[in-house]
Amino acid sequence: MPSWIGQSISRGIVTSRYPKVPASEDEVPLSGRPPVLDAGVSQAAIPPSLCPVAAITDGQVDQGRCVRCARCIPAGLRFAGAVEASTRSREALVVPSVAARADTDAPPPLPDFGRSLHVFLVDVGSCNACNLEVLGLANPYYDLQRLGIFFTNSPRHADVLVVVGVPTRAMVVPLRRAYEALPEPKSVVAVGACPISGGVFAGTPELLPGLAEVVPVDVFVPGCPPTPVQILDGLLRVTGRVRGTSRGAP
Amino acid sequence: MTRAPWRRADPATVGGTDEWARAYLPDDRSFELRNDYGSGAAVLVVPSGIDPEPPEPVAIAGIADRPAPIGPVPAVEGYGVFTFPYGPISMGVPEAGRFDVRTYGERVLSLTPVAGYKSRRIRERVVGRSVEDAALVIERMAGNFSAAHVAAFLGAAESAEGIAVPSTEASVRALGQELQRIYNHVHVLARVAEAASQNVGLAQTHALAEEVLRLQGRAFGHRWLFGALLPHGPARRLDADDRSRLDQDLRALSDEFERLWSLFLESRTFVDRIQSTCVLRREDAVRGGAVGPTLRASGVAWDDRLRVPMPPYHDLFVALPHESAGDALARVVVRAQEVRSSFLLIEQMLERWPATVATTEPPDGRVADHRALARVEAPSGDLVYDVATRDGKVAHVGFRSPSQANWPLFAAGMRDAVFTDFHFAFESFGLVFSETDG
Amino acid sequence: MNLSGWLLSAAVVLLFLSAGVALVRRRWGYATATVASGLWMATGVLALVSGTIHGATWWGPLGDAEGLQLDGLSAFFALATGIVWMATSAYSYVYDDRSTPLLAVTYAITLGAIALLVSSSSWLLFVFGWETMTLASYGMILQARGRSGRVFSAAFVFLAFGEASTLFVIVAVAGLRGMTGSFGEISAVAGGSLAVVVFVAGLIGFGLKMGVAPFHMSEWLPIAHSSAPSNASAVLSSTLTLAGAYGLFRLLSVLPSPPPIWWGAVMLAIGAVSVVLGALFASVSEHTKGLPAYSTIENNGLILVALGIALIARSNDLLDLYVFALFAAFFQALAHAVAKTGLFLSAGYVEHAAGTFDLNSVGGRIREVERGAYAGTVAATLSLAAAPPLAGFVSEWMVLEALFQSYRFSPEWVQLVGLLAGAAVALAAGLILVAMVKFVGFSLLWRPAGAAGRERSRGLAVPIAAVGATVLGIGVAAPWVLSFLVPTVATFSGLSVAAPVGQLLSVPNGWSIVSGSPFGILSPPMIPIVLGMGAMVGVGYYLLGERRPSRRVAPWMAGSAPAQTEETYTSFGYSTGIRIMMSSVLLTREVRSHRGSVTQAEVATPVAYNVDLEVLDAFKLFYDNLIRAGEALSAFLKSAIMPGRLGRYLAYILLVTLVVVIYVAAAA
Repeated sequence: MPSWIGQSISRGIVTSRYPKVPASEDEVPLSGRPPVLDAGVSQAAIPPSLCPVAAITDGQVDQGRCVRCARCIPAGLRFAGAVEASTRSREALVVPSVAARADTDAPPPLPDFGRSLHVFLVDVGSCNACNLEVLGLANPYYDLQRLGIFFTNSPRHADVLVVVGVPTRAMVVPLRRAYEALPEPKSVVAVGACPISGGVFAGTPELLPGLAEVVPVDVFVPGCPPTPVQILDGLLRVTGRVRGTSRGAP
Repeated sequence: MTRAPWRRADPATVGGTDEWARAYLPDDRSFELRNDYGSGAAVLVVPSGIDPEPPEPVAIAGIADRPAPIGPVPAVEGYGVFTFPYGPISMGVPEAGRFDVRTYGERVLSLTPVAGYKSRRIRERVVGRSVEDAALVIERMAGNFSAAHVAAFLGAAESAEGIAVPSTEASVRALGQELQRIYNHVHVLARVAEAASQNVGLAQTHALAEEVLRLQGRAFGHRWLFGALLPHGPARRLDADDRSRLDQDLRALSDEFERLWSLFLESRTFVDRIQSTCVLRREDAVRGGAVGPTLRASGVAWDDRLRVPMPPYHDLFVALPHESAGDALARVVVRAQEVRSSFLLIEQMLERWPATVATTEPPDGRVADHRALARVEAPSGDLVYDVATRDGKVAHVGFRSPSQANWPLFAAGMRDAVFTDFHFAFESFGLVFSETDG
Repeated sequence: MNLSGWLLSAAVVLLFLSAGVALVRRRWGYATATVASGLWMATGVLALVSGTIHGATWWGPLGDAEGLQLDGLSAFFALATGIVWMATSAYSYVYDDRSTPLLAVTYAITLGAIALLVSSSSWLLFVFGWETMTLASYGMILQARGRSGRVFSAAFVFLAFGEASTLFVIVAVAGLRGMTGSFGEISAVAGGSLAVVVFVAGLIGFGLKMGVAPFHMSEWLPIAHSSAPSNASAVLSSTLTLAGAYGLFRLLSVLPSPPPIWWGAVMLAIGAVSVVLGALFASVSEHTKGLPAYSTIENNGLILVALGIALIARSNDLLDLYVFALFAAFFQALAHAVAKTGLFLSAGYVEHAAGTFDLNSVGGRIREVERGAYAGTVAATLSLAAAPPLAGFVSEWMVLEALFQSYRFSPEWVQLVGLLAGAAVALAAGLILVAMVKFVGFSLLWRPAGAAGRERSRGLAVPIAAVGATVLGIGVAAPWVLSFLVPTVATFSGLSVAAPVGQLLSVPNGWSIVSGSPFGILSPPMIPIVLGMGAMVGVGYYLLGERRPSRRVAPWMAGSAPAQTEETYTSFGYSTGIRIMMSSVLLTREVRSHRGSVTQAEVATPVAYNVDLEVLDAFKLFYDNLIRAGEALSAFLKSAIMPGRLGRYLAYILLVTLVVVIYVAAAA
């Protein structure tokens, strides 16, 4: 007679060992990695109107805008950025980066959250894909609890606010309330192209151009949507336990 | 092109004049557009008094978004009765939307969904863009239903322009839709298991859902099929190796699902919790214009893939599971059977994968010059798009999503339920706020 | 008569005198009453410390010796009532702002009457005090501000039950007179069939006053339905019921001992039913005065439970349990009287600040609450909810410990009664917690944004705070309070007793209460000490650790605006779960009435309707039916037996009376 126990045993363990091992191809599909300019491709070959979200300008790729539509691939870009694409500052998402900045531009240091992180998820206007990817971190394949990260039901119990979706006007006040309800020390993670730059909705007057207008953002996770391991990378960046580098160099 | 079967409507049903000139979706009240199942064909019933001309593209002004209740707010008064706002930010309902519950404690006397928090003005956004650029935005109407929205939008746009679509395109769109149907139904099962505190069941189904997403990522390069179904996009195309790998993987997933489903059915705690929860009677479903698994669980056998098929569905065997109880259990059972049906459909599609490029005729949904309707069966039900083009660019887009149609039925079913039934009812309906607000 | 005798007489006289003073100046009357209560309490203390006090004596109308005296038993009740009256009189000084002094006068007379019956040495004087108490309380209830029809009918119910109580008490007293030949209260009686009649009549008569099932309607209806003034309600609930308890104790002390076993079992059963009913109805009550009234029913049930255990133990010759259960009963009476006073005074505070008796309407009307009122109310409610280290916790512990020892009873059916009673008491303890949280949470603790609020009232807050402090003090110092009560238990039982205190481990001797040889032990003074030590650890962390400034934010309402006063979780909603779960006991039903027309066409358009979820006391239904039957019978008899004209019947009665009088006078 079949039983849940028999079912579980026959399935075995499927949990990823990320970040101890690098992310596998199964965990990050083709368009999961951020795009980078291929070496040797001239900027002139890329018309500025090619990218529907204007992410490619002057030989630089703004990964925070990219929505993974793959139109730039035939023109010479490749989805070859590092999997660990999350950054501490908005500017660092523009690759290749400009020359090293002065210390005054460095983002403020993150508080020390120790080894466990409590996360509160807020959807301000997403299409549901980022929402489901963040919630998917709880499934047995990623199991974020093994890394000491937990979802909470109330912002009052949380350390980190994870925001998905492009901020609509109607959600500004509820988002602020959620941010105020988090006790210090706290930090905010913006997941997906929408809260970072507006994504495909950039330029709509009713929507805010980015989450940073409403709450101070500490970690930016680009993607549309970012894969769960990339979101995991973003959360680990909050505690300083990131795997590998954080830039988009190939 | 052949006339679509749903053009043969009784004029009296829609008010006496040329119904197709009037069968468009008003901007603010799309959810009132209902299906009329009484005549045997699902005719879109338009409320009288609607201006037959499509509106001019509205100049985008800085209007403050104000969330509003869906449907009229019931007036329940009594000693100790108060309104309990649930949302817009709560972990039980992962999206941004609010429910105003009128209660005296424990019992839901009435429930009013309040939507509009996620209004991203997609309809205005796409006006003036090319169809391809517009499709990029339409994909993100509801990420987990992206294939259905894209298929319906492109179907309507192609119909409006009089373009025939290659059968590979049609097959890719159908394949994407069926894969997303499997993902969504398995995900609904996981959410219901979570609500019933069946943690082992939750873990297993959640893992299965993740496997579907990974399979989509392998096959199409994106876990949610963004960019993969666009007509001239550079997305991956399936060659023979891809297809055989896909077939193998799907067989494994199908076996897995069968095992899980039989375990769920044997679990008394699971079944008891959703049996008789949030019952939607057949007459209420018909009168209210329900769509999707909700409709089929209440005893009406209607599925767009069978009744108004887009290619390639007219060549394939589509099962039509339906139940009569109308409770949450019936809705979950219908979804599980649809998962089986989807696996079978994909198998048929892969078997017959067209070797040559040929054109296939979609149903002609034209309602005016350069304006057409298209309908697909999204995982949560009948999705209708209305697209008008001008000079090859989008001039107007309207839609009526299955969530918009089903909200009032959810509110009606929740009356006189208890608080704890909420999640079972909500998850079994499969309602999504992002495609409600647009 | 020595000095203490003078003090006693002066105290009783002064209480009556304050009624007269109140006629002159209302406030002075209350001030006098406060002083008199203090004096009364002091005499009680004096009697407990130095022995029986004999006050003034005189000859009664039937040739019997009457007088005032306080022995060990009555001294306890003097102490308890004295504490309560000091608080309520001081409170009334500010609270009573009516234009007429009627409330003050009836209040003072009630106090005097209770003092009289407690300190009476003769049963006749006791009955006189009893009836005066009933009539004066009736007068107090009539002073309620409310719709006059409702007030009159509620007061009438009170009077009806009160007169029934007097009737049964008179029967019991007559039986005692028949057995002993005198009205003296101290003389013990031998056994006999008359003793059973006396016991049953006494139990019913005093039970009516205590408000235990099935007579509990006499307690909650007058208070809840009439919205009697808060100082009156405090006196009614705390001390009237205490007077009933005193009568019962006094009666039992003179009845033959050891008593038949069924006496204790009946008391145990009645007590257990009262406990559950009281707690259940309290947890679904929405009235700031009705809720405490139901709680009184529960607590008096606990007194009966303890007393029942004591009697059964005496019948089974388990003297250690007998003594312990008696201590439990007395301590329970004391703890309840003080804490219940706090609750009613707090209800009066809410009435003053928010102008309402409805827990659902208070929210948003009070802007600021006096710290004293706040603390006092929390202490009183926690005591009634049996939270350590308050007095109610100690008394509930003692009662439960006594119940636990019911395994020692024989025969077996008595053990079963004890078992069921124990389960009932435990259930009630849980339900009463809901009630108490509701009471304080929805009245004082919760002030949503936008509250209006009246000005502060220090005069009302001080007595509440004093009561709270007393409850805490009695609880923490419980072992010494019990030692203080030794004369009471000794007088009642006629044995020489020692306080049930002992020692365990390193806790000093005399700091712990011991329940039976070796059964359970509790040290109330250690609770705050241990809690305090634990708190020091927390304080140490705070002082030594990094200090962050605190930040105030609005409550989290899922991102919606923090609820405005109109749309908030109501007190009604808080206990609807209980209404629905216990619907078979509470006879819950939902009544719907539609407004406007009902359209069937649209499933999406719900109908507008009114809904009310109501609960019903099954006993009230019983009484209503009883009254209806009585009225029907009376109407039938009237038409069957006296169909003629009333004038003729009256004339006939007068004529017959005249004839009888002439005949008797002639024969004498």
